[in-house]
Amino acid sequence: MDGLAAAASTAPRAATRPLASRLLSFASKGTRGQIVALAIVMLIFAIGTAGTSVSLKNLQTILSLAGIPMIICLAIHQVVVIGAMDLSTEGVISLAAVTSGFLIKNPFTAYDIGFWVIPVAILIGGSAGLVNGLINTKIRMPSFIATLGMWWVTQGLAVIIGKGNAVKMLDQRFQNIANGDVMGIPVTILIALGVFAILFVVQRRTRFGRYLYAIGGDETLARQAGIKVDRVKVIVFTITGCIYALASILLVARLASSNPRTGKDLMFPAMTAVAVGGVSLSGGVGGALNAVFGALIVTALNNGMVLMKVSPYLQNAVNGIVLIAAVAVTIDRKKIGIIK
Amino acid sequence: MGETILELKRAKKAFPGVTALDGVDFRVERNEILGLVGENGAGKSTLMKILIGLQTVDEGEYFLRGERAALDGPSAAIRKGIGMVFQEGCMIPNLSVMDNLFLGNEDSFGRGPLMPVKAMAQAARGELEAVGLGRLNPKSTVGDISSAEKQMLEIARLLWLSRLYGVDNPILILDEPTTVLQESEVERLFSILGALKARASIVFISHRLEEVVQLSDRIVVLKDGRLMADLGRGQADVKAIERLMVGHELAVEHYRESMQTDCGSEVVLCVKELRLGGRFEDFSMDLHRGEIVSLVGLMGSGKEEVCRCLGGSEVPDSGSIAVHGKPARFASPKNAIDAGIGIVPIDRRNDGLATSLDVMSNINLLILDRMRSGPFLKPALEKASARRWVEECLIKTPSLQTSCSTLSGGNQQKVVIAKWLAAEAAILVLDHPTRGIDVGAKDEIYRRIRALAAAGLSIIIMCDTLEEDIGLSNRMIVMKDGRIVREIPCPKDAKPAPVAVIGYIV
Amino acid sequence: MKMKLRIAGIKPIYISLGMFFLLVAVFTIGDRTFISLYNAQTILNAVAILLAVGLGQVCVILTGGIDLSVGSIMSLVSVVFMLVIGQLGAWAYPVVMVLGLGAGFLNGLIVSKLRIPSFIATLGTQGILISVAYLLSASPLSVPENSYGLVDIINGSIGPVKNVWIIGLVLFAGFFAMQAYTRLGRGIMYIGANERMSYLSGLDIDRIRILAFTFSGFGAAVAGIILSATLYSGYPSIGGTYVLNSIAVVVVGGTAMTGGAGGVLNTLIGSLIMGILNNGMTVIGIDVYAQQVFLGVLIIVAVAVTFDRRKLAIIK
Repeated sequence: MDGLAAAASTAPRAATRPLASRLLSFASKGTRGQIVALAIVMLIFAIGTAGTSVSLKNLQTILSLAGIPMIICLAIHQVVVIGAMDLSTEGVISLAAVTSGFLIKNPFTAYDIGFWVIPVAILIGGSAGLVNGLINTKIRMPSFIATLGMWWVTQGLAVIIGKGNAVKMLDQRFQNIANGDVMGIPVTILIALGVFAILFVVQRRTRFGRYLYAIGGDETLARQAGIKVDRVKVIVFTITGCIYALASILLVARLASSNPRTGKDLMFPAMTAVAVGGVSLSGGVGGALNAVFGALIVTALNNGMVLMKVSPYLQNAVNGIVLIAAVAVTIDRKKIGIIK
Repeated sequence: MGETILELKRAKKAFPGVTALDGVDFRVERNEILGLVGENGAGKSTLMKILIGLQTVDEGEYFLRGERAALDGPSAAIRKGIGMVFQEGCMIPNLSVMDNLFLGNEDSFGRGPLMPVKAMAQAARGELEAVGLGRLNPKSTVGDISSAEKQMLEIARLLWLSRLYGVDNPILILDEPTTVLQESEVERLFSILGALKARASIVFISHRLEEVVQLSDRIVVLKDGRLMADLGRGQADVKAIERLMVGHELAVEHYRESMQTDCGSEVVLCVKELRLGGRFEDFSMDLHRGEIVSLVGLMGSGKEEVCRCLGGSEVPDSGSIAVHGKPARFASPKNAIDAGIGIVPIDRRNDGLATSLDVMSNINLLILDRMRSGPFLKPALEKASARRWVEECLIKTPSLQTSCSTLSGGNQQKVVIAKWLAAEAAILVLDHPTRGIDVGAKDEIYRRIRALAAAGLSIIIMCDTLEEDIGLSNRMIVMKDGRIVREIPCPKDAKPAPVAVIGYIV
Repeated sequence: MKMKLRIAGIKPIYISLGMFFLLVAVFTIGDRTFISLYNAQTILNAVAILLAVGLGQVCVILTGGIDLSVGSIMSLVSVVFMLVIGQLGAWAYPVVMVLGLGAGFLNGLIVSKLRIPSFIATLGTQGILISVAYLLSASPLSVPENSYGLVDIINGSIGPVKNVWIIGLVLFAGFFAMQAYTRLGRGIMYIGANERMSYLSGLDIDRIRILAFTFSGFGAAVAGIILSATLYSGYPSIGGTYVLNSIAVVVVGGTAMTGGAGGVLNTLIGSLIMGILNNGMTVIGIDVYAQQVFLGVLIIVAVAVTFDRRKLAIIK
């Protein structure tokens, strides 16, 4: 996985900028760069908050805060690995949240399907992802614009279905899970780590995982090697949609309420986490482990800012700067050729 | 004579303007190394593309192992036991050696959900050993390994696949494998190929004739899409092959020689000791007013890079360029254009034109600055200029607003030339100006080049064939391995014979 | 399945024009009040805003890029406009316009100097700009008592002609002149049609691209001013829906996302279509969120029709 970036670092353009190239080759050694970045972030805030930020309690808080963003980040990063993009995150999550809200015990409808809501939500998320993939591969449209359109479509559907209401969730079991912990470790992070473990094994040990990286590395050659590229892409988008749905249920459970804006403001930090985790936007570089670290870094950063009483409104700005910087460092310009 | 396992009978293939293959009979035998030589444009690459199913013959038949072959692409070809090894390897750079080796065929290690990575690594090690890569870690990333290793890896992949598909005696086509190798690596490649011969046939394409003679059991010479000779080992030496590659006579009046004019004495472009690390060095030349100089050399001789440096799209490490006596430094194409140098690129559609825009926009691109009053452009001036150049360059277009994508190759080329003429470039670099253009249009381009030189423009040209180089130019500069090896004058009535020139090139 | 969505021989702009007349007909039949003078005024007011932001966006899209930060530029402009108009008076106008220009310039700088894709660069600056807007004022600001007169420069009218329409027309004329009669306008087309050729032909790609983004920022700033003036308020979420609206305006007008085809005139038609569509759907009683769904689909379809697939070998 580091080969591509290493090759890029020997490219003439990188050679003219020694600092950038050095950063690049360092950050590309798996997740070493991310671990260092995480340590630096923690250290700065530890100093800034005189130790509060690294207290056991706050570390727990960080983990508990990181769970859901991590799941979303794990969802998006796969699409990025094949060199594509998914901007429909918020809409899909809202849509899955609203529908699940009406199916778990609630004051509005008579439905109460309990945990069966999970497969139903996943079905909804997966369908949205499927449509993303089909538009991308069959109509041959760039994924970022296809998913941008789908963002609107799913968000609109969410509002139509939810009629704009916040729906209280009356099934206590969901809340217990989403807010619970096992030996001090929040359940959400455990679920996130479960998703990570599955994706990690898929990426490292299965054909499908190989094909993801082959497509991200060189789609034309992958096709020549007999890989059914379009099918793999559609499956990736679909899985991404399914994972969104999982995150969506956890969000609903945590808030004990669903509303058509459940997904609001989730895509941007997740995208930042993907980039800062070292998953290159040009595709083929970085994996599930990078997504995990990316989510931890972004969460620690935002948590630290809260502790230091930085205005919450500044978080978006910091995320924006981090996003641009991280992409600038990890992207392989040779592969993209012309930057549009 | 061994058993014939591949046979191409009276194969014909034509493209607009060229007959790439003109009734070629070609065969490959079991367990042999076949050398394939020919000048650029002789039809080698077309032949290879047909063999691996990237193109099909217009006429003729293709037999593989006694059966009529209908291949729809490289992967089908590999399944039939014939594959090509490209110079830089066709490997996915971010995957590991073993992933590339087995990509798309992981199922052969078992269909369980998890791939047996250990077994695969073990198998990969075996495959690598067979091609002398025993020391390469199958888990290292392909982007990190050397060109030589990539080539061998590709050979290993083809061998493995042929075993997988149960093909006996696969055919490996190696395209210029030695140009990216060090000397010691060449020797290693040859010894491995020698050993592979016991279970495979190898088609070896190279411009390095000594190597071809040394390695091949049989040598086939192509020229102008025809098979000139089929020589057994020891039947030919380098000189004889050179003669076969270029033929004897130069067609009279093929390149409008009668229109050739003598150049002026004024030096327009003076290049001194130009060097680009690893590409070329010590390149010096003077270009006179009205002179056509042709740069001749094989791929990798450095002539393309020289032209890129003259056009500003690449920056030389050292040396000097002076235009009209004034020293110039080109950091970007813009600097070169400002100095009056125009490049007519080989890849018109991608580098020379905005094909989705109209003829007028393309012609006026460089001179919009002259067509304004205050900040605004004057459409009347634009139209007048475009109309003038369409007439002058005989561009056949329905209107000035016609999109360039609908024009023929010849007319597109004329638009590119018109763009530079409109900008009053004093020096033109023509990179294969007649590539992909049909015969009639070619003649028009030749006339145009002559007329430009007569009008005082200085031209550096790189041509498709040696004949074209000799025919068109006042003078040739021959490059080999990054250095000028010879300057050959080509005056109007005393053109050198190609056979006298080819020896310097290869 | 390779869809051939380009309708042979018909320029996208004529399809857009046809769509425009069709829409007018459909909504007129659907509801008689649609054709009323009052409603026509409402539509044109909305069109002016869409036009302003769309004209900026089309400059970037013609180069082959995209600007996802126009909505947050509008928001930031609206907030700053309300904050400074009390003290600065009429100077508030140039101040916020410069703000928009600056934000666009920043986008262009990031895209061309850091060499990262425009959609990710502008996604990043979008976060930064919206953050600044929230930092300045998280809650809605309204026009200070003493400044109503100044704001009504925008809302006023000359006889039956609303000032907003005039602003839209002037802006259109300016962008049209820029595209048709300046080297910058041509440069934008050259880059979008073939960037590599443009570089080899000595065009200053970075400069042209930065200017395209700067124009986009300017268009968004004007749109932000009009929007906050008509609403008499400014707040950080005011521009939220305009990112997609601006893209819709551009692509529905027939400008290709691949760049180099389409232009300012297309955008005028596109903004008329979008203005009528938004309004017509409301008039005939389609739920505002159902409209949103419809617009998402519309963008996908419009892009699918105008997209030049020959230009990209691999669609990511």
